[in-house]
Amino acid sequence: MGPPPVVTGVSPKEGPPGTRVTVRGEFLGTGPADLQGLTICDCDCLLSAEWKSSNKIIARSGPGKGRGDIIVTTRYGGRGTSTVQFRGYHETIGPMKESAVWVEEAPLQTLAWGRRSMSPTNYQHEDPLGLSVEENDKKFPEDDLHELFPEGSGDLASEHFLAGWFLLEHHHATTFDDLRAGLAFLRRKVDGQKEGQLSFLKANVGSVMDQLDTLMILKDKFETDVKEHGPDPTVEVEKAIQESMLEADKLFNEVLARRDRADATRNALGVLQRFKFLFGLPVSIERNIRKGDYDVVINDYARAKNLFSNTDVAIFKKVLVEVEQRINRLREILQNKLQEMPSTLEEQKKIIRNLVNLEATGDPAWDGICCHSSFISQRLSSCRDEHIAAEIAVVEDTGKTSKSGLHSTPLSHKFGKSSSNSNNSQSQDLLSSVPQRVLFVEELTEIVSYRFPDLWKLGQAYFSGELHVKIEPSRQAQFKRMVLTAIELFSGLLRAAVLPHTLDRMSVQRQTYGTWPSQGMEAVVPWLPRCLRYVRATYSSLIRLDLPGEVLDIVAILIFDLRLHCMSTLFQQASEHVKSLHKGETWKIEFDSKHGGITDLPSQFECKVQEVVQRVKESVLLGEQRETPLLENSNAQRELSALVQGLLLSFSQSLEHLAFSNEAMMQEDHSPAVSQLIGCPAVYRGHEKESSGPAWEQRLLTTLSNCQYTAKVLLPHLSDLFARHGFPSPILPIAAATNALNTLERRILEVYLEQKSDPLVHRVSPSLVSRVLTQIVETVAEELSRLMSCVTRFSVEGNQQARADIQAIQETARLFTTPTAQSFFDEALEAIPPLTNAADKKVVEDTLAKFRVRMRLQLMCFGDPKNQQAVAVAGM
Amino acid sequence: MSKKPNQQPALHKVIMVGSGGVGKSALTLQFMYDEFVEDYEPTKADSYRKKVVLDGEEVQIDILDTAGQEDYAAIRDNYFRSGEGFLCVFSITEDESFQATQEFRDQILRVKNDENIPFLLVGNKSDLDEKRKVSLAEANARAQQWGVPYVETSAKTRDNVDKVGIFSLVV
Repeated sequence: MGPPPVVTGVSPKEGPPGTRVTVRGEFLGTGPADLQGLTICDCDCLLSAEWKSSNKIIARSGPGKGRGDIIVTTRYGGRGTSTVQFRGYHETIGPMKESAVWVEEAPLQTLAWGRRSMSPTNYQHEDPLGLSVEENDKKFPEDDLHELFPEGSGDLASEHFLAGWFLLEHHHATTFDDLRAGLAFLRRKVDGQKEGQLSFLKANVGSVMDQLDTLMILKDKFETDVKEHGPDPTVEVEKAIQESMLEADKLFNEVLARRDRADATRNALGVLQRFKFLFGLPVSIERNIRKGDYDVVINDYARAKNLFSNTDVAIFKKVLVEVEQRINRLREILQNKLQEMPSTLEEQKKIIRNLVNLEATGDPAWDGICCHSSFISQRLSSCRDEHIAAEIAVVEDTGKTSKSGLHSTPLSHKFGKSSSNSNNSQSQDLLSSVPQRVLFVEELTEIVSYRFPDLWKLGQAYFSGELHVKIEPSRQAQFKRMVLTAIELFSGLLRAAVLPHTLDRMSVQRQTYGTWPSQGMEAVVPWLPRCLRYVRATYSSLIRLDLPGEVLDIVAILIFDLRLHCMSTLFQQASEHVKSLHKGETWKIEFDSKHGGITDLPSQFECKVQEVVQRVKESVLLGEQRETPLLENSNAQRELSALVQGLLLSFSQSLEHLAFSNEAMMQEDHSPAVSQLIGCPAVYRGHEKESSGPAWEQRLLTTLSNCQYTAKVLLPHLSDLFARHGFPSPILPIAAATNALNTLERRILEVYLEQKSDPLVHRVSPSLVSRVLTQIVETVAEELSRLMSCVTRFSVEGNQQARADIQAIQETARLFTTPTAQSFFDEALEAIPPLTNAADKKVVEDTLAKFRVRMRLQLMCFGDPKNQQAVAVAGM
Repeated sequence: MSKKPNQQPALHKVIMVGSGGVGKSALTLQFMYDEFVEDYEPTKADSYRKKVVLDGEEVQIDILDTAGQEDYAAIRDNYFRSGEGFLCVFSITEDESFQATQEFRDQILRVKNDENIPFLLVGNKSDLDEKRKVSLAEANARAQQWGVPYVETSAKTRDNVDKVGIFSLVV
């Protein structure tokens, strides 16, 4: 902070606003930028301030009045002080006015400063006594003055001026001597002014004389003029003016007359033109109607009516009648055209507009709407009829072909599912050609998408007054009903075609929706998503129209049902497919370290489920615009749950089929073999039926493995899959499927066990076992001894083999060996030459020991008959 | 900052009079701010105030720099009435200005009505000695006749400027 600025000098010390003031002092700032503020008499003068040096600033005074400090503010010195004062006063300075200040010739920088009040009270008169008022800081209180001189005023210019007031106000502190001096001054001034008048005359005596001379000359001239022209010199002039006026009138009259004639001619021409127009009107109307320029006709008609409608002339009336006839015909044409369908919205609007302009009877706009509405209905119905007819034709056709097809493909009969299978094969054939219903749906949606918006827009135009017709409020409801009916019909037709089960059979409208042949529904199934897409496209186009909610709801419900149906058919289809999966079983076993051997059946199943889930999700599950997500509906949820369950169970059915349909076959093939094939039926069967895959036992085992794999791995996997695709977690269906699979597993297990124990025991009751067995053992022993006796020569190995075999049998069937059987065994053994070599004997011993260990379980079967059942299970 | 102390410093009002162009403003500015202004700009009425220490006492000198031109003769009375001391300035290079001092003297005496009013006759532009028109003797004689001191100064060289100021205070 530097020292505060001090103003010690001002030049000049007083002046009117705008006076150029040189301010001097100390510490007035180090530069122009340092100067932050400058006020003169509390008026901000920074704008005009010009910093010269730290001692000098030049500025112009503001409109401040009276004495006031000059305050300079600098950035480094802050707000300063002033030892001198500036006095601002307002005055009007005329050319004769003496002024203590230089009146700037340069215009003021700001006009606001030039706002010099013209009010006389603001005049700052010099003191008339010539006395300085500078010391007069103490003012005489004005209130006292008012008290002293209630009527007076101190204003020199006022008519109530009182010298006493003035003296008290301005000179109450002046000495008497001064006042006397002032009086002398005033006298001098007054004398000076008087002297001034006289001296003025003296100075200008020459020009005064000149003026007098001039006046005299003027007087002389005038007098001679009066002598010459008489006392009134204007008469002649007046006469001349009158004459010229007459002349001018004559000139103009001629021109005006010509103009009138021209006007008359024009009028006549105009009338002729109008007549020509009127008489030519019938012809031109006809021509324009032919050309289709209805707007021109309307225009002409309106013009003719305007011109001649009130005429009394007979010929005009006649022509007008003719015109009316033609216009009536035009109305008819237009009305017919309005009924003609199809036509675009714009065309219709135009026709309606034309009709309205022609003041046609009735309500053409409403007629147009009705017509449009009925047209849509007709189109929808005719579309239905057409397609139903086509469908029936197709059904009849395929009925014939499928009959002939049955002959050509007898295989389809063999599976015992003639109808569905023949249809399947048929749908395979038809895949290339789209089912009629789908075509129908496509066309129907197309009709609605293209035609319905026009109807709606026409209606909107009608009610918004765009068609310039009177709107009857009752029509609102009527129109709404119309729209509702159209959409209901659309929905009903679609339902009849694709969702016949959702229609109320008893309802009145059922007939109008058409009845489709009951067959052929299956063919539509793969096309359902596509149908859904069509309907959705229509729906979105309807939504764009800003239709009332009720109307949209109809379609929304339809879409919802369609989605539901689509979902169930997709699932059912998948279920069917899964059920028939077993037909494709290849029995190719893939070994997996974790789950043992499984075929690719489960993975096929998984693929199928995945596929169906994907398709359902894509086409159905997700709600589009203005649709509720399918699964928010509890019905749909239940349905979905049931469908998923069906799908999963169908796999278990398929597995079951795989396991047990073969059983039946197997039984047939197998039973006669029992007596012959003791021990190993699988091998036997393997030889016999190589073509039909692995042995039945093996199949059972594989299926079992598949079962387990499905329950343990696949189902959780599928659960994940559902969750991932946004389905609700199918806990119940999974549980049911697991249950079913477990049951199936148990059943297969049982069957397998049964089968294992079957060859020997199945048909023999446990109590008969020992009886039968003794018999069998006897037969076997006899046969053995017979066989052995037949052998002529044994090699060492053969010897060992035979010995070991016989001893093993003997040992095994010990419990059931009768003495007869024993003798046969002995015979058999005797037939074999004895082994001489000890090592050879040892081999037989070893083999037997191994046999006992390996066949321990089987041996136990032949142990205690009471334990037979338990042993059989353990043997598994 | 001592503008409003308990005791206001004594104020001495000095008025610069004299013909136009003799150097009243130049003298004033030299006295106030030690600067010499070359440009000539007729003064209207300027006011300056300066604090000076005189005999150990701080006093304020208020200088009223008036217009020299005859145009303003009529309003001089106003100013003269408030003056306590007068510096009557003429230019030693201009005889007319010297003659005019008599008129100023008369007017002051008439307004103040006091023969003993503090008054100082100043002959300015002493640096232009070669152009001198008013001799020192002549000026001294007039001063003696009036009973006032005479000082020759130069606003340009600041010759005797302080003397002028201090003198004006003494009386």
